[in-house]
Amino acid sequence: MTLSAPTILLICVLGLLGIGLYGMLITRNLIKLVIALQILVKTALLALVIAGNIIGQINLGQSLAVTVLAADTVVAVIGLALAVQVRQQLGTLDVSDLSTLRE
Amino acid sequence: MLYMGLAVAMLFCAAMAIRAKHLLTSVLWLAGVSALLSLIFYLLGAKQIAVIELSVGAGLITVLMVFAISVVGDQPIEARSIIPLPVAIVLIAAAFIMLLILTIPAPAPIPGGEVTSFAEVLWQDRGLDVLVQVLLIFSGVLGVLGVLAHRIQLTRRSAGQSAIKEAGK
Amino acid sequence: MATWLIILVIGVPWLGALIEIIMPRRPTIQHGVAVLFSAAGAICALALLPDAGASDVISLQVGAAFGAFTFRPDGLGVFLAAIATVIGSLAVVFSIDYMKGETHLGRYYALVLLFIGAMAGLVLTNSLLLLFFFWEITALCSYALISFESDNPDAVRGGIKALVMTQIGGVGLMAGALAIYALTGSYQISDFLAGASGLPGSALGLLAFGFLIAAAAKSAQVPFHTWLPGAMEAPTPISALIHAATMVNAGVYLLARFFPAFEAVPGWKTTVMAVGVVTALLGALMAISANDLKRTLAYSTVSQLGYMVYAIGVGGLFASQFHLLSHAVFKALLFLGAGAVIHAAGTRDMREMGGLGRSMPLTRVVFIVGALALAGLPIFNGYFSKDLILESGLTGGPLWAYAVMLFGAGLTAFYSFRMVTLVFYGERHGTGHVHDAGPAMAVALVPLAVGTLSTWLLAGPFGHLLESTLPYHEMHVLALGELVTDVLKGSIVVLPVVLAGLLAWGLHKPLAGLGRAFTWLMRAAAADFGFEWINSAVVNAVGSAAGALRRTQTGLLNWNVAGMVFGLLAILLVLLLRAS
Repeated sequence: MTLSAPTILLICVLGLLGIGLYGMLITRNLIKLVIALQILVKTALLALVIAGNIIGQINLGQSLAVTVLAADTVVAVIGLALAVQVRQQLGTLDVSDLSTLRE
Repeated sequence: MLYMGLAVAMLFCAAMAIRAKHLLTSVLWLAGVSALLSLIFYLLGAKQIAVIELSVGAGLITVLMVFAISVVGDQPIEARSIIPLPVAIVLIAAAFIMLLILTIPAPAPIPGGEVTSFAEVLWQDRGLDVLVQVLLIFSGVLGVLGVLAHRIQLTRRSAGQSAIKEAGK
Repeated sequence: MATWLIILVIGVPWLGALIEIIMPRRPTIQHGVAVLFSAAGAICALALLPDAGASDVISLQVGAAFGAFTFRPDGLGVFLAAIATVIGSLAVVFSIDYMKGETHLGRYYALVLLFIGAMAGLVLTNSLLLLFFFWEITALCSYALISFESDNPDAVRGGIKALVMTQIGGVGLMAGALAIYALTGSYQISDFLAGASGLPGSALGLLAFGFLIAAAAKSAQVPFHTWLPGAMEAPTPISALIHAATMVNAGVYLLARFFPAFEAVPGWKTTVMAVGVVTALLGALMAISANDLKRTLAYSTVSQLGYMVYAIGVGGLFASQFHLLSHAVFKALLFLGAGAVIHAAGTRDMREMGGLGRSMPLTRVVFIVGALALAGLPIFNGYFSKDLILESGLTGGPLWAYAVMLFGAGLTAFYSFRMVTLVFYGERHGTGHVHDAGPAMAVALVPLAVGTLSTWLLAGPFGHLLESTLPYHEMHVLALGELVTDVLKGSIVVLPVVLAGLLAWGLHKPLAGLGRAFTWLMRAAAADFGFEWINSAVVNAVGSAAGALRRTQTGLLNWNVAGMVFGLLAILLVLLLRAS
């Protein structure tokens, strides 16, 4: 199995996906959660551009990636704003203190 | 070769970003991921998105995060994770293996015919996307204002109260 | 034209519901808006009657997965839509007096208007998915209105009971709809009816009995009947609208609509008939033993629905729909009259009433009209429709079933007169000042009373409407003259039984010794013949399952992400299995 560039990069995409999801599963800090989410979005960007490369229409891949990037930036901004507010109101960034669904 | 090296470096940076104890260190590793990613984009031929990713990912997001961390404080949370470690590892490994089976090996690149320029594709074929992005950014701004409004009100009220106290003296 | 009318019939009440929610809390405006929009819906439904046809008038293509959302104004649909909207608007008018001074009027009227629109949509649609959608909305409104007084634990309990039992029927309906889609590739009811004979026998049998269970749960047939008496905690106009005239008819409508597809399934018609017979008999017995005025009427509704189901089981489709029409009118009349009585006397127990006839003359008259129709005495619409049912039972079913239903007719006469005498005649047992029905109540009661006397005259045009717009049902309809002669011939047997029932009540004091022999029966009847345990078991099971599942909602972000990863794994698994 020759490791062509797209294949290597696809394995890299899968690896990043795993790392990003692992980060979201493990971390208890809200801001760390946003960072893990950013890694996941970079995965998506890379996958889109790789797909654009493979089908030969790189500019289509780029346009879609730009859209995702814009949306992701907005998500990051709002996520950080929420984290700041949570810190102000509850005094902690720990995820387990956010839940009020107690028995 | 080059791609292999860049891929390994990117994975390493991402792993360090997750594992770092302090939030600032994490953000710096994330900027590293962004930089390497933009390099890969350039090598794939996507020049414009490389520039955008560099400025947004390594620039804007990093600055935002640093700003947020400065407001919030950088105490690391020492506690163990809520989800048991083996469960997380099994889940991730299962997803990784299944995706591996489904997607590898990657199809061979199709030699592209005439390539329409990026600007044309973005503004004409994907014009609706751009419109949606504008709406997204607009609603994002409103959202942030809404989320932070209470804080703005608090600071204004405390400023008002201290002003009243000053006047009362 | 029909397109617009259908949109209006569903849309105008729903628009009214929306307005009721968002507008300011001024009682006059709330009453006014409710009356206006429900009346507008009723006018549109009545205007739809001449436009009834046998083809889809609205057809929205919504993609391959959902088929098309279609509406078809055929005879069965438009007449039930007319009943729902007209009786709905009368119930709303009645509520002006009944709910005077209550809080949360906006919520009340919004739910009533939402219900009216959904009921009209339920009967007018030709798509199984939309049928399920509207079915669920009616169940939701029914629950919300039963539990309207949310600080009354009995009301809340009754609402949950009703919701759980009818929802089991709803789940069965969804399963049936999906099964039909898998077998025939289309969600359209008309396609299913056309191609039903081509389906494999076992699948068709499963569908037939599944739909029967769904219909029995919704129409409170035995053994699912215990939710209806519990639903009497609702305000009385709601009991009149939802639990007498419209929602409980949805089950009968379902059976009638799908009859051509299922009648060939071996044993189905017999089962339907048996369910009807047992329900009619047990319902009548339970009505005799009840002391609460609304419970008596509830059991009476169960019993009369049993008659309709029996009629379907013996193939008398026209008879069952005709009785549905009569029953909707006179039962709504009885419930609204009971509402006036309860509102005035302040109690629901009949043993604490008595002698109210003197101070409530109008209510007494309309109540007697309703009771005579229920008993099945001539001139009133109940007489004609019940006789027609018994006639079709004579020709289409076994003789023992006919005999039991005949006996049930006698019991019906017995308990309807028991009701009237206990409430309006005799000496006054309770205390307090009693006044007659208010003006709004009277405006609602009088048209219903007039209807009770006259809807049987519509038999001819009604039969023609059904015959011409339902291509797959072979309905045997009669013109008015034939109807009357048929009924007169049949009543040679039926009338004496009914009069015997009346006489039995009239002589009940001298016959008390005979009555004592049956106390064991009456005690069993008072305990719902033990079927309550089914209802409680189901409700408890649902409650404990809900409590157990609550532990999955941890509220912790990491577990939510883990849930997403599980979902991802499931999708990947399906993709892997399909690729291999």
